[in-house]
Amino acid sequence: MDALELCYLSAGELSRLIRDKEVSPVEVIDAHLARIEATEPTLNSFITLLPEPARAVARRAEAQIQAGNYRGPLHGIPVGLKDLFNTAGVRTTSGSRVFDNFIPKEDCTVAARFQQAGAILLGKLNMHQFAYGPTGENFDYGHMHNPWNPDLVTGGSSGGSGSAAAAGQCTITMGSDTGGSVRIPAALCGIVGLKPTYGLVSRAGLTPLSWCLDHPGPMVRTVEDAALTLNAIAGYDPKDVASAGREIPDYTAALTGSVQGLRIGLPREYFDAPLDAEVAAAVAAAVSQLEGLGATVTEVSLPMFRDSQAISGAILMAEAAAYHRELLARDGDKLTPSVRLRLEAGLFVTAADYLKAQQARSKFNQEMARLFQEVDLLAGPTEPVTAPPILASEVTIGDRTVGVTGALTQYTRPYNISGTPAISLPCGFSESGMPIGLQLAGKPFDEATVLRAAYAYEQATDWHRRRPPI
Amino acid sequence: MPGENPLTRENFDYLAGAAGLDLNDPHLDELFSYVQVALAGIEGLAEIDVAGAEPDLAFNPAQQFQAFQE
Repeated sequence: MDALELCYLSAGELSRLIRDKEVSPVEVIDAHLARIEATEPTLNSFITLLPEPARAVARRAEAQIQAGNYRGPLHGIPVGLKDLFNTAGVRTTSGSRVFDNFIPKEDCTVAARFQQAGAILLGKLNMHQFAYGPTGENFDYGHMHNPWNPDLVTGGSSGGSGSAAAAGQCTITMGSDTGGSVRIPAALCGIVGLKPTYGLVSRAGLTPLSWCLDHPGPMVRTVEDAALTLNAIAGYDPKDVASAGREIPDYTAALTGSVQGLRIGLPREYFDAPLDAEVAAAVAAAVSQLEGLGATVTEVSLPMFRDSQAISGAILMAEAAAYHRELLARDGDKLTPSVRLRLEAGLFVTAADYLKAQQARSKFNQEMARLFQEVDLLAGPTEPVTAPPILASEVTIGDRTVGVTGALTQYTRPYNISGTPAISLPCGFSESGMPIGLQLAGKPFDEATVLRAAYAYEQATDWHRRRPPI
Repeated sequence: MPGENPLTRENFDYLAGAAGLDLNDPHLDELFSYVQVALAGIEGLAEIDVAGAEPDLAFNPAQQFQAFQE
C-alpha cells in the first residue's frame, strides 16, 4: 500500500490490516515518519519527535504480532501526545522553554494505558503555552499551522494534536480540554475531538490548567477511532482524585449507525451569539440530516449560556494562577508575555468570586440537567467561525467584531462547566475551504449516545474523507 | 471584584504586593490594564442569583483514602 494511504487510514482500518499481518507496524511507523518529515516544516506540530524509539517499539510490536501476541486495536498504531502529558524519559515542556529539560520519571496514566494497548508514541505535540489559549500560537517552539491553510491558526490549546491528526502525521493524538482545547482545534482542523465526561479519563500526570475543568480527550479522524481510543484510556485511576469508578462499556458497540428515536435539542441562545452565516448554514444542514436519519429535533433554552464565560473564566483564572503561582514568582519573565498576563490576572480573583463562580456552576448544571430530561443530546456549532489568521486578536463575525479568545470558546466552555461529554466532528467547509465543526453533547457518562449520533452523521456524509492540501 | 468598586491602582498595588509580585517591576503597569479587562470579563457573576446553591467542589474522602492506600 502507498505510504501516504497508510497515513490516512483510520486506527480502525489500520488495526484490521495489522491484525491480519497485511501491514507491519514498522511499515506504518516509517510511513508516518516520512509524512512528518515532509509536512513538519510547514505545520510545526511537534515539540519532540521520537523516530528511533518509535521504530524500536514498532519492531517489537511486529515480532509480538508475528508470534501471535496481538494485543488489540491499538497495537502498532502511531500516537502523539500533547506535550503536557508526562512521558517517562521523554521531556515534557507544557509548551514552555522553562521546562525544556524537564524529563518525567513516570508516564501519565493515559500514556501508560496507550503503552499497555500496544500503541506507539511518535512524539510530543506542540501546544499553546501551559494550555492557556485557544489559538495554537507558541512563541517558544513556534506557532502551529493549520493544514488546510498554514496562514491560519490550528486552534488550541491542543493545536499540534489537531494538525498532526488532520495531516496524517499521527493516527491518534491526545489533547486536553479546559475551555475547548480538544474541540476547538478539532473543529478548525476538520477532525473529530471528544471531550469525555469529567472523571472518565484520568488527569493523573498531566500539567493542570484548572483542576476542575481539565478533561483529557482523543483527537482523531473518525468517530470509530474516538471510540477505540476511549476503550483503551477510560476507566478508574486511583491516582486521580476525580476519577470515576464506573464500568467501562465497549464504546464501539454504540456505533450502530442509527439515531432513530434520539431527541436532539438546539439551544436557541447559541444562535443569538455571534455566529458566521456559513457556519450557521452548515450546522443547520447537519441537524436536518440527523433529523432525516430519524432523530427528533426541538428548540430548547439554556438561559445560563450567557453566564458561561463569567463562570468558567473566574474558575479558570483562579485555578491557573494558583497552580502556576510559584512559577510566576520564579520565572515569570521567561513566560510568553500574554500567557504571563493571563496567569497573573488570576491572582486578582478573590476567593469570594471563585466560590460564587462555583455556586453559579451548580445552578448552571441544574439547568443543564433539566434540559437533559427533555432531550438526549444538545447540538450546535463547535465554533462560531472558521480558523482565524495566526496572531489575530479580533475576528469579525457578521457585523460584530469580537475578541478571538472569547469567540473560539463561546460554544465549548459550557460543557467544561457541566463536565458532560461533547464531541466535535466535521460538518462542512467554508467557501474558502476551511473546515466547520458540529458539536454534539450528551448526559454525564453517556459517551455511547454522543458517539452513536456522531457516527450515524459521519457515515451519512463524506466530510471526514476530505484531506488537507498539504 | 466583580460588581464592586472598580479596581483602583492603589488597590491593585496592595493586592499585587500581597500576591508576592514585585511592585517595582515596570511590567505591573501593563498588568494593571490587563487585570481591569480580565475582571470586567467576570463581572457578570454579580448578576447571577445563586441563592440556595452550594459551591460545586469535588471532595471525595473515601476515594482519597483509597488512593493513599494504593
